[in-house]
Amino acid sequence: MSEMIELKVPDIGGHDGVDVIEVFIKPGDTVAVDDSLLTLETDKATMEVPADKAGVVREVRVAVGGKVSQGDVIALLEVTGAVAAPAAAKPAAAVQAEAAPAPAPAAVPVAAQAPVAATGRVELRVPDIGGHAGVDVIEVAIAPGAVVALDDTLITLETDKATMDVPAVAAGRVLEVAVKVGDKVAQGDLIAVVEAVAGASAAQPAPQPAVPAPAPAPTPAPAAPVAQAAAPVAAPVKAAAVDEAGFVKAHAGPSVRKLARELGVDLGRVPGSGRKGRITDEDVKAWVKAVLAAPAQAAVPAAPSGAGLDLLPWPKVDFAKFGPIKTEPLSRIKKLSGANLARNWVMIPHVTQFDEADITEMEAFRKSMGEELKADGVKLTPLAFLVKAVVAALKKYPQFNASLDGDQLVLKEYYHVGFAADTPNGLVVPVVRDADKKSLIEIAQETSLLAKKARDGKLLPTDMQGGCFSISSLGGIGGTAFTPIINAPEVAILGVSKSEIKPKWDGQAFAPRLMLPLSLSYDHRVIDGAAAARFTSYLAQVLADIRRLML
Amino acid sequence: MSKVIELKVPEIGGHTGVSVIEVFVAPGDAIGAGDSLIMLETDKATMDVPAEAGGVLRALKVAVGDKVSAGDVIALVEAAGEPVQPAAAAPAAAPAPSGDADIECDMLVLGGGPGGYSAAFRAADLGLKTVIVERYGTLGGVCLNVGCIPSKALLHVAAVIEEASHFADCGVAFGAPQVDLSALRAHKEKVVGKLTGGLAGMAKARAVEVVRGNGRFVDANHLEVSLTAGEGKDETGERRVIRFRQAIIAAGSQPVALPFMPSDPRIVDSTGALELREVPGRMLVIGGGIIGLEMATVYSALGARIDVVEMADTLMAGADADLVKVWEKRNARRFDRVMLRTRTVGVTCRPDGVMVKFEGEQAPESEQKYDLVLVAVGRRPNGKLIGAENAGVAVDERGFIAVDRQQRTNVGHIFAIGDIVGQPMLAHKGVHEGHVAAEVAAGHKRYFDARVIPSVAYTEPEVAWVGLTEREAKAQGIRVGVGKFPWAASGRAIANGCDYGFSKLLFDEETRRVVGGAIVGPNAGDMIGEVALAIEMGCDPDDIGKTIHPHPTLGESLGMAAEAFDGHCTDLPPQKKR
Repeated sequence: MSEMIELKVPDIGGHDGVDVIEVFIKPGDTVAVDDSLLTLETDKATMEVPADKAGVVREVRVAVGGKVSQGDVIALLEVTGAVAAPAAAKPAAAVQAEAAPAPAPAAVPVAAQAPVAATGRVELRVPDIGGHAGVDVIEVAIAPGAVVALDDTLITLETDKATMDVPAVAAGRVLEVAVKVGDKVAQGDLIAVVEAVAGASAAQPAPQPAVPAPAPAPTPAPAAPVAQAAAPVAAPVKAAAVDEAGFVKAHAGPSVRKLARELGVDLGRVPGSGRKGRITDEDVKAWVKAVLAAPAQAAVPAAPSGAGLDLLPWPKVDFAKFGPIKTEPLSRIKKLSGANLARNWVMIPHVTQFDEADITEMEAFRKSMGEELKADGVKLTPLAFLVKAVVAALKKYPQFNASLDGDQLVLKEYYHVGFAADTPNGLVVPVVRDADKKSLIEIAQETSLLAKKARDGKLLPTDMQGGCFSISSLGGIGGTAFTPIINAPEVAILGVSKSEIKPKWDGQAFAPRLMLPLSLSYDHRVIDGAAAARFTSYLAQVLADIRRLML
Repeated sequence: MSKVIELKVPEIGGHTGVSVIEVFVAPGDAIGAGDSLIMLETDKATMDVPAEAGGVLRALKVAVGDKVSAGDVIALVEAAGEPVQPAAAAPAAAPAPSGDADIECDMLVLGGGPGGYSAAFRAADLGLKTVIVERYGTLGGVCLNVGCIPSKALLHVAAVIEEASHFADCGVAFGAPQVDLSALRAHKEKVVGKLTGGLAGMAKARAVEVVRGNGRFVDANHLEVSLTAGEGKDETGERRVIRFRQAIIAAGSQPVALPFMPSDPRIVDSTGALELREVPGRMLVIGGGIIGLEMATVYSALGARIDVVEMADTLMAGADADLVKVWEKRNARRFDRVMLRTRTVGVTCRPDGVMVKFEGEQAPESEQKYDLVLVAVGRRPNGKLIGAENAGVAVDERGFIAVDRQQRTNVGHIFAIGDIVGQPMLAHKGVHEGHVAAEVAAGHKRYFDARVIPSVAYTEPEVAWVGLTEREAKAQGIRVGVGKFPWAASGRAIANGCDYGFSKLLFDEETRRVVGGAIVGPNAGDMIGEVALAIEMGCDPDDIGKTIHPHPTLGESLGMAAEAFDGHCTDLPPQKKR
């Protein structure tokens, strides 16, 4: 028997789009564990990527000159014979840093080995946590000797996005706990070893059925991609507990009970509207609606709490009284971006700084280059210049390339610039990564490609992640100035309105200059007014004389 | 030839648990590379996930509302027309060393009894690639091969023999029965064969692979099967390793053997008794439970004299005393001795018979001589025979495997069902548990929520009960009222010569809902299903009494029992109104 597996680019220190400078394998080759597959070159070092499984190469997905990122498939391997790499892929050591100050990132041991359990011992490991590595353990809920049931929380992890409980996928007595608070873990790391003990699993429906966790249906997450044998991982989401004793007594027939289970309803709490208090399908559905509506209602009451916003309820108006109307649902993107915009607007103290940039020379240059580049099918856009100029300004004023994380200011050493794209469905903000390393032409090509993807609804989440600063340009449409809303967790956004020829005093006479209105909204918690003024004037200087970009 | 490819969720920017908001494909669809499979929604945007490869969609692993992460399998497609020559795998293909898996499946079911095959068939119907491991040559387990079904084939014959013998009173006399034991055995085997043959066909139709052998877990995802062949379960020495994503343990139970019993062909368990090698003159049944009494009925009808020894206070434990009393009265003629509160203490085998010594309240002083001894003192689960500990599955000291209401063991992806998870050890319980396990494994939110499991003794007469018994209600302090309808008032029962029977229903005095019921008399087992349904539906006396039952039937006695509870049954003498 054989199986196909994918060899993927391991964690390469968060670098994206790393150049492939050498490929050592071709279809038909037999590779062994740790054989080099290819060489990558980042700005800091070159590294060889070793195979973490042995087998016969069926297909190679990368080529010299291509760019890869973590998780990209390098090759398809047909694994023959024994389950190849017995040990989890060797970490950092395998990634050979050949050049000097390589940051030697800890590679993730991808293989979550099936617990080769000895007598009744089960190893509980960190499940797939979305490719995050080095995730903080902020709480450990178990101790040696404790008895855990299925789905009991073992540890709590905190990523940059959320905290998550890791549930037990096997019940038993804890023999050993391998992590402590403050540790950093990745998928496949050992959390604890439990020994199966009779009766440690969820209690049998006994007289007093204190059965725990109806919990989630164990989404048979088809296991880790590499070690196919790994145990399925229950989604780390817990539903509210069902009181089984009450469930058993509820006046409801089998079909209603089935529906209640599907909807996760605690039947014991559902009032029955049927004859003699019988619970019907409708009762169960109504209960779900009521429960879902409850939090929304709970948010409305204007009990002054100090925390949060004590707002009046949204005005309810019967618009039809005043004239004909029609309603249409908000698009999905509008709903999503609306929620984000509302949060950002109320949570960030916005100030907007207005300025103007003289882009007469820039536009002249752009247009002259435009003619030249037309032959190559490249359209040099003003946005490309704006991106480039913004990067220069960000380099000069690093607090604009930052994010607020509680009491910490996170200063970024990379330059990913987002730009608001208008699409038929609503607003999206694709991101040009590493704009500092790209030429004007590259940026122009990339922005138009991203804008097209946005219009076609083909943007990937990765295309919208990682932005440091956003640009919202309405220059093609009109307006003299506006106050853009910051795209959190960024701390500033540049609004650009329509450029206009204005008379400017050059010291001797008024000269007609093409002026571009700039509106910079910034997070006043992070950025002072003076810094904002310096930022926009520097930006204006750069745009006025783009030769500065070369300095 | 074709190969199956897994289409997975691509890198989606580190998001995990992304919602699936739309699924564009269905099993059977032909899809091309680049076709949209599903739509995902993150907090920022929606995106289509395109197919990386084209082909025919074989199985869909996600549904709207699921949460997925990078690497999750979306669907399996069979790449059409991609010729994979068997030789192509050659370059490094050494013969698979032992330790690697010979067979891979989504769902492994260990045990092909009624619970096991029901679970496997349901799993297969839900799209899981399913393998059954069964040590015997046919599916159906104890129930079909050496339990419920062959015993019923014999009990039916026994009932007809006995009914015919009473017909002289009705004016029709048959001669004494001529029993051809080998023909009777052949009849029994034909009944079994029809069913097991049908099961084999149904497994095939579902593409459920049956691997014959003794299975032992190697770890939480591998089972090693020692292949068996022949009539029984003789191992051939060959081995297969099966790798599974999820498993259902349905390994059942076996008769408890008494430690002091010598090995002798005249000492048998239920399986041996069903072989029906000969009709003994005197037969001892050790254990007065349902299995022992059913076999006593068969052998008695064929002419054997029966003694029963039971350690407890009563025969047919579990049933209410009023039911057992009717049964006892009708069966007294079979027995020379019914020894309650008595234990078997010594057994010696002599050429002329098996000598048995008893001790206890109703023990005869002298050793008794028997031609056949049936040991029917219960069944014990097979939990310790399957290497469950290698998979981390907890087995208690008696061999039971504890499960939650979704039939999951302490190891999340391994389920257990049927006899091995606890009492009552009944096929119909195992079947329902099997369905729950299979559905949960396939991602459905299912629980074992049945409230009652009926019990039936297929004796002569049959005794059936479901839900609370009067004894249990008393013990648990639940106030119940009883509606009882004696069959002496049933025209049909009188016509059928079974006016000794009765039907009764137990109602909760507080809620007026039916909580239990019992019937003694012919076809009691066929009728108890109505009571089970009434309990599950939470019926009150009016629901049952005002449901028109056909007249004249034995079944209408249930409607009348409900009326009797409220004191307005017009087929009974005037009752006190409630």
